Amino acid sequence: MKMLLEGSHAVAEAVRLCHPQVIAAYPITPQTHIIEHLAQMVANGELSSEFISAESEYAAASVVLGAVATGTRAFTASASQGLLLMTEVLFNIAGLRLPVVMVCANRAVGAPINIFCDHQDSMALRDAGWIQLYVSSNQEAVDSIIQAYRIAEACELPVMICMDGFFLTHAFEPVDIPEQTAVDTFLPPYQFSRMLDPKKPMTLGGGSEPDNYLEYRAALHNDMEKTLDRIQRVGSDFSQQFGRGYGGLVEGYRLEDAEIVFVGLGSLIGAVQDLIDQLREQGQLVGALRLRCFRPFPAAALVRSLSSAKRIIVMEKAFSAGAGGIVATELRAALYQAGLSIPVDNFIGGLGGRDITPSILEQIFHTSVSSDAAIDCRFINKDDMSHAEGNATTPGEGD
Amino acid sequence: MSNLSIEPGSTTAYHTGEWRQQRPVYRDKWPPCGQSCPASEDIQAYLALASNKEWEAAWRKITERNPLPGVTGRVCHHPCETSCNRTQLDTSINIHGVERFLGDLAHEKGWRHERFTEVSQPQKVAVVGAGPAGLSCAFQLARRGYPVTIFDAMSAPGGTLRSAIPDYRLPKSVLSGEIDAILALGIELRLDTRIGQELSEQSLQDDFDAVFLAIGALKPRSFSSIDKSDHSVMSGTDFLQKINRGKSLSLPKQVAVIGGGNTAIDVARCARRLGAQVTVVCSQDRPGSHHGHADAQMPALPQEAMHAEAEGVRILFRTGVRRLVRNGQHLSGVEISRVDQVHDRQGRFNPVLFEGTETFLSAGLVIFAIGQEVNKSGLENLMKDGELGVIIGGDAAGKPRFAATAIGSGYQSAMSIIAYLTGIPPVYENHQKTDVTYKDLHTQYYPLLPRQDELMTEDRLSDFTEIVKGFSQGETLCEASRCLSCGVCFDCDNCWHFCPDAAVIKKPNGYEIDYNYCKGCGICALECPSGHIDMQREVG
Amino acid sequence: MDTRDQFRTNVLTSGHRACAGCGEAMAARMVTDLIGPDAIYINATGCLQVFTTHNQQSAWQAPWMHSVFANSAAVASGVEAALRARGRSTPVVVQAGDGGTFDIGLQCLSGMIERGHDVLFVCYDNEAYMNTGVQRSSSTPHAVRTTTSPPGRLSEGKHHLKKDVISIIAAHHMPYAATATVAYFPDLKAKVEKAMSLKGPRFLQVLSPCPLGWDHDAALTVQISRLAVETGLFPLIEMEYGDVTGVMRLARQRPIEDYLHLQGRFKHLFGHQNDNGNVEIRHLQALADARIQRYGLLDAETEWTTASAAQTERHGRGGYSISAVKQEVSS
Repeated sequence: MKMLLEGSHAVAEAVRLCHPQVIAAYPITPQTHIIEHLAQMVANGELSSEFISAESEYAAASVVLGAVATGTRAFTASASQGLLLMTEVLFNIAGLRLPVVMVCANRAVGAPINIFCDHQDSMALRDAGWIQLYVSSNQEAVDSIIQAYRIAEACELPVMICMDGFFLTHAFEPVDIPEQTAVDTFLPPYQFSRMLDPKKPMTLGGGSEPDNYLEYRAALHNDMEKTLDRIQRVGSDFSQQFGRGYGGLVEGYRLEDAEIVFVGLGSLIGAVQDLIDQLREQGQLVGALRLRCFRPFPAAALVRSLSSAKRIIVMEKAFSAGAGGIVATELRAALYQAGLSIPVDNFIGGLGGRDITPSILEQIFHTSVSSDAAIDCRFINKDDMSHAEGNATTPGEGD
Repeated sequence: MSNLSIEPGSTTAYHTGEWRQQRPVYRDKWPPCGQSCPASEDIQAYLALASNKEWEAAWRKITERNPLPGVTGRVCHHPCETSCNRTQLDTSINIHGVERFLGDLAHEKGWRHERFTEVSQPQKVAVVGAGPAGLSCAFQLARRGYPVTIFDAMSAPGGTLRSAIPDYRLPKSVLSGEIDAILALGIELRLDTRIGQELSEQSLQDDFDAVFLAIGALKPRSFSSIDKSDHSVMSGTDFLQKINRGKSLSLPKQVAVIGGGNTAIDVARCARRLGAQVTVVCSQDRPGSHHGHADAQMPALPQEAMHAEAEGVRILFRTGVRRLVRNGQHLSGVEISRVDQVHDRQGRFNPVLFEGTETFLSAGLVIFAIGQEVNKSGLENLMKDGELGVIIGGDAAGKPRFAATAIGSGYQSAMSIIAYLTGIPPVYENHQKTDVTYKDLHTQYYPLLPRQDELMTEDRLSDFTEIVKGFSQGETLCEASRCLSCGVCFDCDNCWHFCPDAAVIKKPNGYEIDYNYCKGCGICALECPSGHIDMQREVG
Repeated sequence: MDTRDQFRTNVLTSGHRACAGCGEAMAARMVTDLIGPDAIYINATGCLQVFTTHNQQSAWQAPWMHSVFANSAAVASGVEAALRARGRSTPVVVQAGDGGTFDIGLQCLSGMIERGHDVLFVCYDNEAYMNTGVQRSSSTPHAVRTTTSPPGRLSEGKHHLKKDVISIIAAHHMPYAATATVAYFPDLKAKVEKAMSLKGPRFLQVLSPCPLGWDHDAALTVQISRLAVETGLFPLIEMEYGDVTGVMRLARQRPIEDYLHLQGRFKHLFGHQNDNGNVEIRHLQALADARIQRYGLLDAETEWTTASAAQTERHGRGGYSISAVKQEVSS
């Protein structure tokens, strides 16, 4: 049923359809509306779930850890500082191979404290062993949550749905909320194989030694890589049943003969697509590639989609201080590994909720095509923005 | 490989016992009660059984060594209670009360002694004397399949138990009941048969493969004084024998009893019951006084002396008789003096009187109870040293004259006779065990609970009915449960509870240490209340 | 599964790597066998977790999980919520050391209690971070030597007092919080049984001597835990909804030196010339006296005293939940 809903509300509806028996969370902007809606649903009897108001995100993550280990589906959501407070537990959930699903309402990380969107929080957790799917719309958020449970449960690995704080969580968009029966068909009841149960006692989370720790961790990597296939298949199963798809790992836009390709994540892609259309009208051979699945890193899918590009522009809302853009760095490595030497320009922008306007995007395009050498880790700062709005100067020149 | 879940209990594949440098070992000790028991009763064992209400098993445990628990429960001087480790915690266990209860219960329930074997041995044994030593020996032999015949000069069995102990201490029915149970094992009893008179020594040696002489010490020691008259003078044993045969005696108003042993006290208390004013003249100090060495104290049981005094018997301590005072044949009393020393330099009983301390004690009858001697007449040949197949036991062997000593002697003699008959030396298991003293115990694990003593009848002097009442079942249980079980496991579970390594396994009958896992921390040994666990260094 | 013992389950069984004489292993074995294998156990990081799961072997014979150090109460909250959601009534038990209770785990524990989760939280209190090599915790008593509160020219060991965690816990207005120790099994048993008979958050603080960290002979573990109580330093109390509802009376008060002398962690306080050490000994005595006075340990009306609760019973105290083992044996 198509409804005009706030993104957080839509997420709550999707979560409701998946019947998590335990929901635990600690409020943090911009995630709060999600859990408020869930709390209300539980209070109204619309969702039969234990709603645990944890005393911290750290505890919230731990509660869902325990709940999933006890054989239930569970849900939590957080952002920013809260997500980082969860860090230890999130690593642990992945190490324990628990199919936890959570939403990260992406938000900047302090200091300075900032409640608005960027991807620094979830990107900081890229090594935790969680599958990370970055969604571009509230509809995709809804659909991805449903997919996330199926992926997590099939792979016994946790999934984090990353959605842009405010841009998506607080945006009202028409969203098709699937029918319960359809979701039930797609997501059958689940029995966790290593459930804590006195009838079949097991020890989970025991100690390891130099003798075997590496094997545990290597297995995590290998199993993560194997989920690429599963994410793809779950995506196509979903589109088969529901008629909507997001490309599984990556989603291309007008890539067919594109020589210059924008690469980005999340909700920014809408503005990028508009620019592509505009540039195409001007005769430029441009396209866009949205990285939906960031972890595991879909190197092969990226290489396949980008092999004929002449230049790649990566737009990121996070970076690794002292190293630069994260996606760009990983993409360069993937291309290098595949024997491709395509220049990759890396722009970092939109941090702490700053808007990336169509004109800024256009400016980025021009900067890129006019540069001989590949541009590495260029921050789109205030001066660039004013320049982009007014004059047609190159972003980053003021540095 | 990496397993996401680990099998429960899989650490058992890892044997932490390899860390161990010392190991705990369960080891039974020989508690002081059993060690001090002249009859070698396994007292701790039967108290443990009694504390678990296993009454019959408890009785059977006693009767392994003593077929007369109803008797000893009443008359024994119970050194077990003196040596009891519990004395140092609060008060000793009332062991004799439990023993008496079990003996009486066995009689009430009609429990019968069992033979260890149904096979009848070819060798026959003669036992001379149906006192406690003879009965004990005959009992042990009969249980082991030896045909036994007991000869006794008296017309009823029991020896001094019957002839010397008054009814108010030991009712005849109790004695007869236990003797009947012993004889029921198939022992032949020939009464009124004195060796050398009714039966010759030779025929005894001809008809039997072994002879046990337990003839007692019945000849009263005579009072060495210039007064040779029998008039108004009696021996204690004669007096008691008359009373125990039920003869009616009429006594003068005042009676003096000379002596400080149990016989003297028995005599005095009987005389009281016959209405006389009784004074005991005793050379030694009051029992329990710290004056001099033990021999300088009245040899009678302190409890008995106390009872006597409670019944109105006057006891004069450190007093000796200088002469009998007669007016013609008529006895008017005794002249007594304060005693200087009781024993001479050779350690013999030889009181010396202080001159100038003489006083007159008025008495119409003097009863001497100053000891008995063995009467060997008619047995001179058998009692020669080194006579093969002849063993002398009980009072006749010169042992301390206690019933329990006689019973123990009977047991030892039976074992010696069997060893003689079979050629296999006897084994005494208990004596290989180590001691357990109070400091070996961990007394914080025991509740403090004072000893209970039996109740006494109100009116004691009107007749000879038993004055000490027996324990009830509840009192027995309580008293048995006070036993510290020195050196012996009583299933308290401490080792099992406290083992951090699940290396102590509880079995239906006790515990077992799984040395695969025991790390040798020593907690079980340190926390064992009764000192049953030893730590031993691991070798190599 | 190990079924050697037909009288107890051995929820925590042999082959674990605890030091010889480990008080925590002893306490955990008592507590878990009293509760039985029909429960879900969540363990904080610490000695107990380390020595029971090693080299891909587990000493546990019940469902057991370890996540991280600080979060055991929160994990247990999730387990309990999941069981509630699934209509199960399986008991949930947390086991943690003093680090995972007094310090790093206190916030999660507070949250768990505040939300009223039906969980028994058991703290095996060995008064320092033993797993990492004996560093002071907020449970470490005053004047104790640890590797991070070392005595030196300017110091007599830990400067600060042992945190009164039971009062903090009980202040949550929760059903049951109690202290216990290994030396008094009947008391420990009664407290575990009482805790298991109640619904909601419950807390047990079990003093568990550590031969390594307290520097005492391995055989003395029980004796020292008994002395901790008998000196008044570690009162055995029960609290319900914030009020003290039971204490164990001291049959007699032992001087503090009886307890201190046996342990190397107090050794620096002793010596003729050591004036500062003597002050600290008197301080510890005063702390014990104050606790005795606060809880009325010498005059309270009680079911047990330290004398009666120490007593053994003839023919076994029994007391473990053995039905599960019996089924195992018979099947």
